[in-house]
Amino acid sequence: MTSTPPYVELHCHSAYSFLDGVSLPDELAHSASELGHGALALTDHNSVSGSMELAQAGADHGLRAIQGAEIDLTPVSGCGARGRHITLLVRDERGWRNLCRIVTLAHARTRDGSNRRVLGEPSVDLQAVLDHAEGLVCLTGCAGRSAIGDGVADEPVARRLLDAFGTEDLRVELQRPYARHDRARNRALAAFARRLGVACVATGNVHAHARCRAELQDAFVALRHHTTLDASEPLRRGNCSHVMTTPQAMANRFADHPEAVAQTLALAERLTFNLDRDLGYRYPGAEDAGAERKLAELCAARLHERYAASVIQAEAQARLVQELNVIGKLGLAGFFLLHHEMLELSREVAVEVRGPDSVRALLAPGRGRGSSVSSLVCYLIGLSHIDPLANRLTLGRFLHEDLRGLPDIDLDFPRDIRAVLIPRVHDHFGHEHAALVAAFPTFRARGAIRELGKVLGLPAGEIERMARGAERYGSGAEHDMAVGAGAGAGAERQKPEEGRDADIRPGGAAPPCGRWQWLDRLVEQAYGLPRHLSQHSGGMIVATRPLIDCCPVVPAAMEGRQMVQWDKDSCADAGFLKIDLLGLGMLSAVERCVEEIARTRKERIDLSRIPFDDAETFAAIREADTVGVFQIESRAQMQSLLRTRPENLEDLTVQVAIIRPGPIQGGAVNPYIERRRRLREDPAYEIPYEHPALRSVLRDTLGTIIFQDQVMEVAEAFAGFTPGEADGLRRAMSRKRSLQVLRRHRERFVQGALRRGRAERETAERVWQMVEGFAGFGFPKAHSAAFGLLAYQSTWLRVHYGPEFLCALLNEQPMGFYAPDSLVHEAEHRGIAMLRLDVNASEVQCTVQDGGVRLGLGYIKDASSDEMAELVAERERNGAFASLGELAGRIGARRRTLEQLAWSGACDEIIGETGRRSALWQLGVAAPGLGAGEGTQLALGLELPRAPRLRSLGRWQRLIADYATSGVTVGDHAMAILRERLNVPMLATSAQLARLPSGGAVAMAGLVIARQRPGTANGTMFLLFEDEWGTVNLIVPKAVYERHRYLARAEPLLLARGRVERSEGVVNLIVRELAALERFVSGGVERAERDAATARVHRLPAPEQPEHGPQSDHDEQAVEVGSSMRAVAPPIQSFAMGRRR
Amino acid sequence: MLNLPHPARVRAGAGGVPLQVDGRAIELVRESWLVEDRWWTAQPLRRRYWEVVTTSGRNLVVFHDLGAGCEQAGGWFAQRS
Repeated sequence: MTSTPPYVELHCHSAYSFLDGVSLPDELAHSASELGHGALALTDHNSVSGSMELAQAGADHGLRAIQGAEIDLTPVSGCGARGRHITLLVRDERGWRNLCRIVTLAHARTRDGSNRRVLGEPSVDLQAVLDHAEGLVCLTGCAGRSAIGDGVADEPVARRLLDAFGTEDLRVELQRPYARHDRARNRALAAFARRLGVACVATGNVHAHARCRAELQDAFVALRHHTTLDASEPLRRGNCSHVMTTPQAMANRFADHPEAVAQTLALAERLTFNLDRDLGYRYPGAEDAGAERKLAELCAARLHERYAASVIQAEAQARLVQELNVIGKLGLAGFFLLHHEMLELSREVAVEVRGPDSVRALLAPGRGRGSSVSSLVCYLIGLSHIDPLANRLTLGRFLHEDLRGLPDIDLDFPRDIRAVLIPRVHDHFGHEHAALVAAFPTFRARGAIRELGKVLGLPAGEIERMARGAERYGSGAEHDMAVGAGAGAGAERQKPEEGRDADIRPGGAAPPCGRWQWLDRLVEQAYGLPRHLSQHSGGMIVATRPLIDCCPVVPAAMEGRQMVQWDKDSCADAGFLKIDLLGLGMLSAVERCVEEIARTRKERIDLSRIPFDDAETFAAIREADTVGVFQIESRAQMQSLLRTRPENLEDLTVQVAIIRPGPIQGGAVNPYIERRRRLREDPAYEIPYEHPALRSVLRDTLGTIIFQDQVMEVAEAFAGFTPGEADGLRRAMSRKRSLQVLRRHRERFVQGALRRGRAERETAERVWQMVEGFAGFGFPKAHSAAFGLLAYQSTWLRVHYGPEFLCALLNEQPMGFYAPDSLVHEAEHRGIAMLRLDVNASEVQCTVQDGGVRLGLGYIKDASSDEMAELVAERERNGAFASLGELAGRIGARRRTLEQLAWSGACDEIIGETGRRSALWQLGVAAPGLGAGEGTQLALGLELPRAPRLRSLGRWQRLIADYATSGVTVGDHAMAILRERLNVPMLATSAQLARLPSGGAVAMAGLVIARQRPGTANGTMFLLFEDEWGTVNLIVPKAVYERHRYLARAEPLLLARGRVERSEGVVNLIVRELAALERFVSGGVERAERDAATARVHRLPAPEQPEHGPQSDHDEQAVEVGSSMRAVAPPIQSFAMGRRR
Repeated sequence: MLNLPHPARVRAGAGGVPLQVDGRAIELVRESWLVEDRWWTAQPLRRRYWEVVTTSGRNLVVFHDLGAGCEQAGGWFAQRS
C-alpha cells in the first residue's frame, strides 16, 4: 500500500504533556507508522521535551516528525477571562527559534512564587505569540469539553492572530472527539473560518498511542485535578476518541468537513522543519579557526613535561598525533579548548573554596570520569588524571572518525566546589548561553501505586501497605504487587501483555475486573512514563548563540539555575555539548581526610604521589576489609573481593566494573572469577575464548565482557562493525527507547560475523548473547580506571590514617553504602576509639582527638547547625561549661535543642553520675534563649535546682536515646545488650559463624544494616546483619522472603535460622526462617517503662512518689525491645535507590 | 419525569446508524456521540448515542449499548432528547 494517507495528525500529546498524555513519543511514532500514517506532529502542552525523541523515533519508523506545541495564553492578555490554548506548528528554522522563545516566555514566571520549589502554571501573553509568529503555523486550538471549545473562537482575538500569521499560516481547528455537541460546534467554527477568510483543518487531539492506554488517560485527568475517577466525570473526555487511529478512520470521522481533512495534507507539506538537520547549534570555540593550532601547542608543551624522560615518549607522541588528527577531522579542537577553559574556571573556584593555604590545594579541582579518561589529549590538558598509555586505554568509544555527536566529558568535583562552580559557569558564559540539562523522573511502582490507588478511590491504608510491599517494577514485579495487595487482589490475574510492545496488538487481554486489578494494570501502564520535568544532576549545555534559539529554557527549582527542556539523550541527539559537572561525595571525603591529617599529624599528603602498590592496602582489599571506601565496600563487592583477590590497580579497574547489571546479566561475573582462580592456581591455564578473534579485545577480562567499550570492540573485531556502527550499538544498549534498534543491530552483528567467515551461526549467536546480555548498565574501562584509582586512594587512607578517614566519612554524610552507625561500629572493631558527644569537647563536625574520633554536635537531630556553631564559639571564647545552668545561659539555644543535648548524652560529663534523666530535668527548668529580632536574648545563667532522684538510664535505654537523638551509638551494640537474655538454641555470633562447618544448622541474631533485592537476583533478598562482633551476609531465598515479607523488609532486629554456607572464604547464612528478635528476649516486654526511652520530663514520676530505687539490671528487661528499636532504628541501605552516594 | 431510557426497537444500517426507531423511520441524524466510562466499576458504560429526528418530526435520543457482560449488552434504548 503506497498511496498517500488521506490525513496527517497535527495535534498529538505525548506523556511529556505530564499527566495529559500517556504514551512516549517512540510509542506514538511506532503506532503511527503501523497504522499507516506518513507524518505526525507532536504538540505537548507548553513543551518540546519530546520533540527530539519523536524526531529520532520517526527516523527509525519511517515517519516524518512535525514539531509544535500547544500553548496556554495568559487569561488577561486580551482573550477573555478564561485562558485559551492555541496549537503552534513549526514551518521552518525561524519558526523553531520562535517556538522555543514562546515556550521559554511561557515558563519564565513559573518559579516566581514565594516558594521557588512550587511550580506555577505556564502561560504566555497573546502579544508575545504575535511577536514571534514568523515561521510558525497557528491553529486556533482544541475542542475541549465546552460548546465553544478551549481554543480561540472570538473574533477580535482571531483577527489579531490573522494579522500576525496571515491567511496562509492561520487555520481554524476542527475536532471530533465524539462528544454531544461536536457537529454543531464544528459547523459554527467552519462559519467562523469563512468570516475570517481562513481555512479549517481537522485534528485528532491524540493522547494515547493504543487503546490499552486509554484508561490511564482518564486516571491521569483525575490525578491532575487531585480527585478520584468517581468524582471527575465532568473533567474527562468520556470516551476513547483520543486514541490514535488510522488516517482513513480519521478522514471518515470528518466526513462533514472533507476540506478540513485535505488541509492536513496541504499544511503538512509546508511544515518542512527537520529537527535533526536544522537546529544550527554550535558550541563555543567551534568557530575559532586557530583552535587546532592552539590545542596542538598546548598538548605539545604538556607532553614534553610529562613524558620527556619516559621510555614511552615516542609512543605518546604518536598517540597524540593520532588523537589530534581525529580531533582535527571532527573539528573538535574548540571543544577541547572549551573544556580546558572550564577546568581553569574550576581551578579558580577551587582556590576560593579551599582557601589558598589549604593542603587540599595539592589536589586537582576535579577529575574526569567516563570515557574521556581514555584520551591522551584529555590527560594532557588536565581533564583526566589517568595516564591512558600506562593504563592501556583505547580511544574507541570516546573519539573515532565516525563520531556523530560530541564526545562525553564528565568531571567529578568535591561537593563544595561544584556548588559554587555551577552558578559560576552560568555567569562566565552568560545566562543566555548556558543552562542545565533536564531530567524526567518517571513513574515507579511505589509512587504509581500511591497516586493511582487514590485516583481509584481505594482505602488509603491498603494502598500504603501495597506500595510498601512493591519494589522496582520489572521481572516479577507484578507478582510482588499482587502479593502486596493480598490474596485475590490480582494474584491470580493473567499477565495482560508481554511488555509494552504488545500494547498495539488489537484486542489485547481481557479487561481487569475490580479496582485492585485495575490498579495493577494502570501501574503497569504508567510505569516508566515521565512524571514531571526536573534537573539533571550536573549536566550543563553551553552554546555560542543564545540557547533559547535551540531549545526552550525554563527556570529550575534551585535559585540562579535554569535548564533546557531536553534530557541528556535528546541533548546528545541534538549534538549539544554537554559537560557533566558532578558532585562526588568520596572526593569531598578524601579532601576532608587530607585536611584532617594535615591538622592532626602535620603531614601534607599528595594523593597523586602516594605509592600505588602498597602491600598493606592490597592486603586489606583482598580480605575485603573495605567498609567505607569508594566503590568496593558494598556487600556484593566485598564478597567478590574475597574471590577475585585483586593485586594491582588493573585488577581494581575490573573489580569496580564487575558488580554492575551489565556484567551480571551478561553472565560475565562467575566465569571471570573462576578463570582468575584457575590462573592463580595454574599460571599456564589457557583462557577459553568463544572465538580467537575475541582474544585481543577480551584479554584483560579473561574472555568475558565487563567493560562497556568491550561491546564495541567485540562488534568491531568479530562482526566487522565500523567504530561509528559500534558506537550506535552502544548507544542503543544504553537507552530505554531502543529495543527495536537493538534487534536490527543483532541481525547486522550475526550477518557481519558470518560474512567475515568468523564463525558458524551458532557461535555468532552466542557471542551476540554475551553482547546483548550486557545491555544493562556497565562502566567503560576508562571510567572504571578513574573509579578504581579513587577506590585505591580511599583504601590507602583508610589503612594508614583510619581515624582521619572515618572522621571524613562521618562529616561527608550522606554517602556510601553504610550508615554512620555501622561505620562507627566497624571502626570500633578495628580498634579506633570512638568518643561520645560532649558539649565541652565536641566540635560541630566530627574531629580526631587524641587518636580517636569524637562525634560532632552536628549529629544531634532537631538542633540547628547555627546553634551548635554558637555553642562551640562560646566555649572557645569563654571556656568550658561548668554546669548545665551555665550552658543554658551562655549559648541561648531553644528548649528543644537543650533537651536534645541532654538526652543525647552530650552533657553526661557535666552532670556526672546522675545521668541523662537529671540533665533533661535540669535543662527542662532552665530558661532557654529567646529569639529577639536580630539576635537571641540570652537567659540568665542561674543555678538550676537539683533534680529529684531519678533512676539513671540502663544500657538499652541509653542506646535507644542515642539512636533517637543522633542516629549513632558508641560503645554498646544492641546485640551485646540483648545477647545474654536471648534464649535460643544453637545461637552463633558473627565471629563464630566463620568457624562452623559448612552446611551446619545455626541461628543468628542481629541488627539489619542493609537490605537489597536486586532485579538481577530472581527474587532473592540479601540482608546484612550486624552484631557486636561484626557483620554477616544473609541470603533469603524467594520462598522464605515471601513467607516473612514484612519482617524481611521492615524489622530492624531479627532472628534468622538457616544453614552456613562457606566457599572461597565467603561465608553466608542461607535463611530458612526469620522471626522478630523481641520474641526471644527473656524477661518479656512489660510495664510502665514502655515509653521511658522517649519520655519528656513532665511524664516522669513526681519526686514525692515512691522511688524505684537504684537501677538494677532487671529494669532494662522492662523496656519494650522491639517497638523502641523500630521507632529509632538507624537508616539502612534500602531497596530502591539505596543510601545515595 | 427522569427521562430514563427505555428499551427500543431499532433497525440500524451500515456503521450502526439507526434507520428506524420503534417502527418510525428516521429523517435525520443530528448528532452522534460515544460514552465509554466507569470502566473501573462493576458497571462499565459503553454506549453509542444518536440524536435523531423521526419522519414525524419528533426529536429522540437513542443509544446502542456496546458493553459486554451486562444484561443490557447489545440492546437499543431511547430517551427524549
